[in-house]
Amino acid sequence: MSVEVTTISVPGGRPAVVLAEYDSPGACMHAAEKLRDAGFTRFDAHTPFPVHGMDGAMGLPDSRLGWIVFGMGLTGLLSAIALITYCNGIDYALVVGGKPPISYPSYVPVCFELTVLFSAFGAVFGMLGMNRLPRHHHPVFESDRFRAFSDDKFFVSVECADPKYDTASTQALLEGTHPNHIEIIEDNES
Amino acid sequence: MSAEKTDYRVTGTAWAGAWKIAAGVGVLGLAGAGYGYTVDAQRFAFSYLFGFFAFLVLALGATFFVLLQHVTNAGWSVTVRRTAEVFMSALPIFALLFLPVAASMDHLYPWTHDHAAVHAAASHEHGEAAEEGHAPAADEGHGHDHQAGQVLSEEQIEHQLHGELMASKSPFLNRGFFFGRAIAYFLIWFLLTRKLFANSVKQDTTKDLGLTASSQGMAPASLVLLGLTTTFASFDWVMSLLPGWYSTIFGVQIFAASMVVSLAVLTLVTYGLRSSGASGKAITTEHFHDLGKLLFGFNVFWAYISFSQFFLIWYASIPEETVFFHMRWSDGPWKSVSVAIVVLHFLVPFLMLISRNTKRFFGQKVLLLGASLLLVMHFVEMYWQVLPNYAAARGVLPTHAESFAPHWLDLACLLGVGGVYLAAVFYRMAQHPVVPVGDPRMSRSAHFENA
Repeated sequence: MSVEVTTISVPGGRPAVVLAEYDSPGACMHAAEKLRDAGFTRFDAHTPFPVHGMDGAMGLPDSRLGWIVFGMGLTGLLSAIALITYCNGIDYALVVGGKPPISYPSYVPVCFELTVLFSAFGAVFGMLGMNRLPRHHHPVFESDRFRAFSDDKFFVSVECADPKYDTASTQALLEGTHPNHIEIIEDNES
Repeated sequence: MSAEKTDYRVTGTAWAGAWKIAAGVGVLGLAGAGYGYTVDAQRFAFSYLFGFFAFLVLALGATFFVLLQHVTNAGWSVTVRRTAEVFMSALPIFALLFLPVAASMDHLYPWTHDHAAVHAAASHEHGEAAEEGHAPAADEGHGHDHQAGQVLSEEQIEHQLHGELMASKSPFLNRGFFFGRAIAYFLIWFLLTRKLFANSVKQDTTKDLGLTASSQGMAPASLVLLGLTTTFASFDWVMSLLPGWYSTIFGVQIFAASMVVSLAVLTLVTYGLRSSGASGKAITTEHFHDLGKLLFGFNVFWAYISFSQFFLIWYASIPEETVFFHMRWSDGPWKSVSVAIVVLHFLVPFLMLISRNTKRFFGQKVLLLGASLLLVMHFVEMYWQVLPNYAAARGVLPTHAESFAPHWLDLACLLGVGGVYLAAVFYRMAQHPVVPVGDPRMSRSAHFENA
């Protein structure tokens, strides 16, 4: 029990996040593995650079973003086909450049562009949505030490809302991973 | 990682003797092709050009791949680079394999005949026939400048214009310059691939960092040279099969095809080397993931370029441009081949290779299947590039069922050229480690991970 534990309080707050600080990516990854093995799901790692193998250490499944992008791309493709067929084939059938109103080679550029556009929307907004962004505030930013996550320190944060969270046992588990410091950060959001 | 030692050589695996099998197939194929030449020299010319060009494009693609790795200082690809290098190193052998093409150029290239003279004669003939039915003086004003006072039929004008077009192209399309350019291409390819390969294998023993610097230093200029020679070689050897037709994107299209086929072959061969144990643990799932990404990306690029070529010609609808697709997209047997290329060279591989999972998991089986399909479709596409011109040379209309007439010579020439080329490739492979053991980035490449 040599690890220093401090609590950052806010008026009317309850514990929201437990933050553990490490000096090396290895220690940080080891802590993530322990949390994964203990069954935690709502925790995150914060590192100054991408750490290879962290996805596996955190037990993150494959991102489902690809399916959103694929669905949006397909929507874009079908929208383009519907748009051209209706506009150029039904509503205002016009012979352009000697080509019949519905001539499929001329569909391709529009189909391509709308597929790409919708896919890009799917990728950007899908990513934001799955990360629950934009979010104006997160309790970890109450910690002054946390600023070093973009400099030379490595952090693991555990949300108190995690079903496996228990004040005493989670703290003990994190202490077992030999962090420099543990902070319990409160938040007063309901 | 484990301390398991390996010398990264194919000794003791099936790859060690692969060159003998390839050489056997090559000799049999060339013997068959030689017999075919005595039976039907014109058919031989087109079949041989197909086999020659299909494998040449593979060798050029492997050279592009090696240069791209040097120009980008790529660390990930070091352990698969040697495989590309052996496929590159046999590029000069195409200088020998070019001889039958040179010998049959009269059968292949219409511009070898004196077009201006042929068409002048034709127009004169028609002119005499026309005179019989018309009163010469009546339509004087409509006559062509060259034969003022004489009425020209539409056919005559066509002959005359075509003759003039061919005459205007003759400063480029003539025997002397054609051979001069061919010699220049082969000389550039020989010097370039020899230097790159020598640098790489020398480093196996010396571990000299200067050799990496040397290859990287020559890479940018070499890429430009290789791009130009590939473009003009495809203009000379395939596009000029139809000398009245031109497409400025043709060289890019061949470059795209070369990248697709070389990445497909690289994927298949590196997988085979890993399965045989020759490459030890140097080639991992990460390499297949990256090769798969490049294969997918370049196949999309190939589709983009191929469609661009089709689309602009289709939209503008200018006769001298549409003739290429008239031969391949009119209702007839070649249209089925065109549709098969769209579906099996683009749509199916696109869906097979788009997912990260198919490139990393299922024991790479989906990736291997996609690469095999693209390899087969490369040969179909090259066949589609060359053989419609055989029908045209015999005056068979593209709507006629006979315009698509596969012949045993096609296979004999493909196996003949392919066997000789692959024998040279596998012979080199057996002589050197299958990964560049002296490269300073070896360990980085063996252990890298896709983020």
